[in-house]
Amino acid sequence: MPLIKTPPPHGGKLVDRVVKKREIAEKMIAGCPTFELKPTTLPDGTPIRHVYREIMSICYGFFSPVEGSMVQNELERVLNERRLLSEWIFPYPILFDVSEEDYKALDVKEGDRLLLMLKGQPFATIDIEEIYRIDPTDVATRTFGTPEKNPEVVREPFNEKHPGYMIYKMHNPVIIAGKYTIVNEPKFKEPFDRFWFPPAKCREVIKNEKKWRTVIAHQTRNVPHVGHEMLMKAAAFTGDIEPCHGILVNAIIGAKRRGDYPDEAILEGHEAVNKYGYIKPERHMVTFTLWDMRYGNPIESLLHGVIRQNMGCTHHMFGRDHAAVGEYYDMYATQILWGEGIPSFGFEAPPNEVDYGLKIMPQNMAEFWYCPICQEIAYSESCGHTDAKQKFSGSFLRGMVAEGVFPPRVVMRPEVYKAIVKWWKVYNYPFVNRKYLDMKNKELEIDLPAMEVPKA
Amino acid sequence: MPHYISVILDDERYAKIKGTPLEEKITYLFGGQLKSLVVEVPEEKSEQILKTFDKARIDSRGYIEDVPVAFRRAVFEEIAKAKSLDVIDKVLERLPEIQEAAKKEDEYIPPPEIE
Ligand SMILES: [Zn+2]
Repeated sequence: MPLIKTPPPHGGKLVDRVVKKREIAEKMIAGCPTFELKPTTLPDGTPIRHVYREIMSICYGFFSPVEGSMVQNELERVLNERRLLSEWIFPYPILFDVSEEDYKALDVKEGDRLLLMLKGQPFATIDIEEIYRIDPTDVATRTFGTPEKNPEVVREPFNEKHPGYMIYKMHNPVIIAGKYTIVNEPKFKEPFDRFWFPPAKCREVIKNEKKWRTVIAHQTRNVPHVGHEMLMKAAAFTGDIEPCHGILVNAIIGAKRRGDYPDEAILEGHEAVNKYGYIKPERHMVTFTLWDMRYGNPIESLLHGVIRQNMGCTHHMFGRDHAAVGEYYDMYATQILWGEGIPSFGFEAPPNEVDYGLKIMPQNMAEFWYCPICQEIAYSESCGHTDAKQKFSGSFLRGMVAEGVFPPRVVMRPEVYKAIVKWWKVYNYPFVNRKYLDMKNKELEIDLPAMEVPKA
Repeated sequence: MPHYISVILDDERYAKIKGTPLEEKITYLFGGQLKSLVVEVPEEKSEQILKTFDKARIDSRGYIEDVPVAFRRAVFEEIAKAKSLDVIDKVLERLPEIQEAAKKEDEYIPPPEIE
């Protein structure tokens, strides 16, 4: 087997649609009609998505080769075959949606440039290629699949209890398609700023600073307990002639479910794992991607593959119930996709074995538990004392945290727990609640420098 | 069939029951690092708990889970006071007060006193 090298970006080239020169940006936006970006909300007003996060992830190359909001033919292709018009695989509809009222007030047409405002400042442009309408419920249903059409892995029809389904169902019906360009680079707030490694930068750090040849990605939306830490350490034993040189934690930052941990605690919790030597910083690095998680299990795992390949990872670990909520999908749906493919979603073979597919390699992992007979944290496929297992249960841990009980270090590292408490003191709550969602929606992760819009 | 409530003992809680007969009743998990006490709850009383707290449920092992923090804290307080696990009636007497505290838990849970 030859030595593994950093894979090329998905689609061959990293998308970079961020204008850094103020004069060029000003020329681009002069005289443009403007539109202040709005969150997607549930009927009760709860914010569940902010399109600014998608614009950031596209323009900085996380979603390469996607460059903007999809035209109708591309939307259909993604829903039917999970492929872009350029043939490259891609899992999710990426859409810039506005309401009928806003569309009427905007008075824009194909060929126009629309300036998107954020927090009252110019943020990005969209060069309008097409304007069309969708049935949001239809898009939502087809995005995640149905038990009838996708019997390999869909177990229950998606409904209003599924957060990702609701994100698409609550999309506005008018879609403005076209490429995004960021014209006013946002500044990340603390602590986000120190974890911001867009793909080009991340590849540079991996190559020149960390000097990792092989890197395995770890998806997270959670503060890590020791079960997660063991998963990272053990999955990293894959590689080629030696274990992977690096472990890249990539947290998904965006609107969350109530009861999840706040984003700040997730990032600093993972950081504590390397800062305090549980996995030393020479081997472990924490980053994030802006995305309002769709909880799409196998579909989400494809996006994770795209993002982390673009960031320069060679491998990606996948556990069971990957990016899942509820029992809509088979608990092994992601592993089935990466192990054999899911034909009804367009994959006759795994995503890294099809044409125009991904180059990142999957590492499907089972479970870790504490075994009192082995007297160690054991791998479920090794330890034969199934009846004696003591599981790392997320809900059990959350109960412990809520109660203010200091978890034992074999369950959660004390420094990780302290990261939870630090943000608990800031928000007066250890988990995401309505107040946090509203605050997050207002403040976002960034600030925008002041910028005038010159007259045409 | 009775149900159970597990009360985790961190160092602070352990100190409060150390040297009492309760010490013999501690259940050890994760190589002895996680200590807990298990309170038995007769079925009619666990029904009352489920009725009072709408998120509460019985898990596959028969443990009452997803009860408010205030409830669990009250269970430990009564255990520490009585030096016994036979406290469920005492806890149920405090239900109105616990319910009041639980109402605020969607908005506020007091953070622990650690630096
Ligand atoms: Zn064992």
